[in-house]
Amino acid sequence: MIPRRVVIVGAGPAGMSAALVLAEAGLRPTVLDENPRPGGQIFRQPPEGSAAAQAPPKDATAQHGAELVKRFAAAGARIELMNLTSVWAIFPERRLAIGHREGWQVVAPEQLVLATGAYEYTPPFPGWTLPGVMTPGGAQSLVKTWSVRPGKSAVVAGSGPFLLIVAAQLAAAGVDVRAVVELARQSEFLRQTPRLLSSPGLLFEGAGMLRKLRDAGIPMLWGHVVCAAQGENGALRSVSVAPCNQDGEPERTRARTIEVDTLAIGYGFVPRIELAQLAGCELEFRDDLGGWIPKTNSEGESSVPKVWVVGDGGGVSGSVVAELEGELAGLAIAERLGCLDSATVARRKHPLLARLAKLRRFRLALDTVYRIRPGIARLAAKDTLVCRCEELTCEEADKAVGFGGNDFRTLKVMSRLGMGPCQGRMCWPAMMRRIADRTGHSMEHIGPSRFRPPVRPTTVGDLLQLIPFEDHPEPAGASARGAR
Amino acid sequence: MRTPTPDVLIVGGGVIGFAVAYELARRKVKVQLLDKDLPGRATSASAGGLWPVGEAVGLGCGVIYQATQAAKRQAAGELENAEDCDDGILPAPFRDLLVASNALFPALAKEMLDTTGVDMEFRTGGGLLFAVYDEQEQAYVERVTRALPAGLHFERLTPEEACKFEPQLTRELVGAALLAGEHQVNPMLTAEAFKRAALLHGAQFRHDTYVTRLRREGDRITGVETEGGFLPAGIVINAAGAWSSQLAATAGLACPVFPVRGQIVLTHALPHALRACLSTSGCYIAQKLHGEVLIGSTTERVGFDVSVTPEGIANLCRGAVRALPLVRFVGIKRVWAGLRPGTEDELPILGPAPGIEGYVNATGAFRTGIVAAPMTARLVAQCVVGEEPEMPLAPFLVERFAKRELASTAG
Repeated sequence: MIPRRVVIVGAGPAGMSAALVLAEAGLRPTVLDENPRPGGQIFRQPPEGSAAAQAPPKDATAQHGAELVKRFAAAGARIELMNLTSVWAIFPERRLAIGHREGWQVVAPEQLVLATGAYEYTPPFPGWTLPGVMTPGGAQSLVKTWSVRPGKSAVVAGSGPFLLIVAAQLAAAGVDVRAVVELARQSEFLRQTPRLLSSPGLLFEGAGMLRKLRDAGIPMLWGHVVCAAQGENGALRSVSVAPCNQDGEPERTRARTIEVDTLAIGYGFVPRIELAQLAGCELEFRDDLGGWIPKTNSEGESSVPKVWVVGDGGGVSGSVVAELEGELAGLAIAERLGCLDSATVARRKHPLLARLAKLRRFRLALDTVYRIRPGIARLAAKDTLVCRCEELTCEEADKAVGFGGNDFRTLKVMSRLGMGPCQGRMCWPAMMRRIADRTGHSMEHIGPSRFRPPVRPTTVGDLLQLIPFEDHPEPAGASARGAR
Repeated sequence: MRTPTPDVLIVGGGVIGFAVAYELARRKVKVQLLDKDLPGRATSASAGGLWPVGEAVGLGCGVIYQATQAAKRQAAGELENAEDCDDGILPAPFRDLLVASNALFPALAKEMLDTTGVDMEFRTGGGLLFAVYDEQEQAYVERVTRALPAGLHFERLTPEEACKFEPQLTRELVGAALLAGEHQVNPMLTAEAFKRAALLHGAQFRHDTYVTRLRREGDRITGVETEGGFLPAGIVINAAGAWSSQLAATAGLACPVFPVRGQIVLTHALPHALRACLSTSGCYIAQKLHGEVLIGSTTERVGFDVSVTPEGIANLCRGAVRALPLVRFVGIKRVWAGLRPGTEDELPILGPAPGIEGYVNATGAFRTGIVAAPMTARLVAQCVVGEEPEMPLAPFLVERFAKRELASTAG
């Protein structure tokens, strides 16, 4: 077992900023990340030497991200980065089971920061398992990281400002983007303008993205949903798009068909709470923050002392908030470990808290506009797969719900939903809302999915190779810093 | 005074509690089951193996339990070497109980499917195959073979025969022994089926109800105290599994059950790779109906701690790879742990307790709760309604512990 003072899981904006604060305070934090290079999903760095790596950052966010990654790399040996490393379990007393190619080991930090981020939310609808249907993030990763177009023509659909970014990136990569289909209604957006003006910079950025789409001739369909996707020869051929009411219920009679080979669809993000749950953190349901999240105090400490949750993994709020949260937690931990005095911490905390409060007003407006509406939970048809791992249809799942499967464990026993490798990551966020919609039970009654280790892919054979990490001389991040 | 159809409260919503509720409800007893979802319920961490003879002779996790116990006693200087340990063969009445209970499953599974719609996933397979790694284990097999009565067949296989029977089995063994009539079910669906059948017969369930104590008035249990208040009952049945001892103690009753943690590993689904369930000295392995391979199980006395440990799961994986090399490359779906209701003599605690009215034990099923549930429930129900139990209860009464204590003091 390897002792460490502070371990941070995730090298996205929240994890990196927490690490930077701690490194400055002289604590040499350990950062574990699955990717070859730091940056997380939002600031993911393209493979070294690739065409994408040569291109300069395109927008303000990317520019900021590049700077953050640079600062992180510049910290050198003051941060121990273990990349290509995943955490697949948390045992009592903050003992992390970490795995990578050579085997596994147990790392036990005094303080644990979970900055695990979020994943995309795509509730099931007819045709959603067709090849050519993907999440916006998946489409983005293809064009941005790998310089591969996902298809010739695309519809970008779902909800949230992320759709605008992806649509613009697909268009810039030469994909014929036929429409952006947005669940939210433009009138509600306009109604929120006063609150949105609290962060004029962000509002301006959003307006810029909309203008970019208009200039590219991409229609923006507010108050619409993709209610089905049709395939031919096992690939996507077209999507049905219909206007919807306040509840997100489509008017199918007014549906139109758009022929495309690619559908990028996502309704926002779901916090990745597996590790927080394994660590025993108390959870609460916050629809506005993406679903079930760990309860934290204003500095990010969870209900379990010495376990901190920052960034989207503690509630989806975007990279700007994530960075501030990372910094706050970093300061609190440095103070706790006696590396920063309380006066310094208080002085540095103040502006961060003020900025967070301001951003919260903006968030609140966005959350209202882009809220998940119940109609989305009703899109699946009888034969639509709702649990892809176990190939369970909506009809079978509904039957089990009617049979009393109103919480994760019972439904799993009754129907095998969530029994597969994803442990309910993909199906449960949609299924819990469907259960709420059909039964009227509260989300607290329905509850979160129950994660068990391993939460990242691990084989039986992996467990036979305990690696001596004590001798892991140079943090694997050396290459990312170009320091070796 | 015991009324002919007393009101019964069952404390504990595991497979035993549900089965007892079912047996009582279908005897027209007004029964209510109280349950609190505490972490570590043994039913949800069971392999679902129906290995009546295997369990009675110490296969399944019995082998692992014996090894753990022997190592402990050796360390404590009680044994010269591990071989001197008793061989884990349990008394005949326990074996008879398991065999009789197991025999109920085929009809029970059909009845449950017909009446509740729940498939317990009862499936017959190749039996239970004990992989014999060395001479010491061979000697154990010989002792077991001698101890078994006629009619219970323990088939000895050479390594070649074993590998022909089970092609994925390791070649590194000195032989194998097969119990052909041993099968498996899905433990969670078995419990669910009992629960639904009980509901159909009019039983009532109160979930999320924590029983804080038994109420005792003189030499009688009159009901239970819950977080929501007092619930009166003619008879209270202690089916609280690993928590039974604590519950009994609230009324000053002895029910010497202790939690025995079992960690298990479940792999991703594989194509059909195993005919039989495997039992080895390192672990047991059962491929379930949907293809997952279940690797069990540690036996640890660590109180109510339900965490999995790195050492525990790594040892199980090591044991599994040794017995079945192909699992090395298989992904782990999940690992978790449950608390078996253990007893010192490894037998269940059933029936009334001496000197107290209105109280019945249905606990201490240790590692055989699933296979023992149907017959356990019958015996307990018969005892409650005053029928003659169809099998002798005496070997399972709690007073055996007091007697043993007396005997040891006298000796």
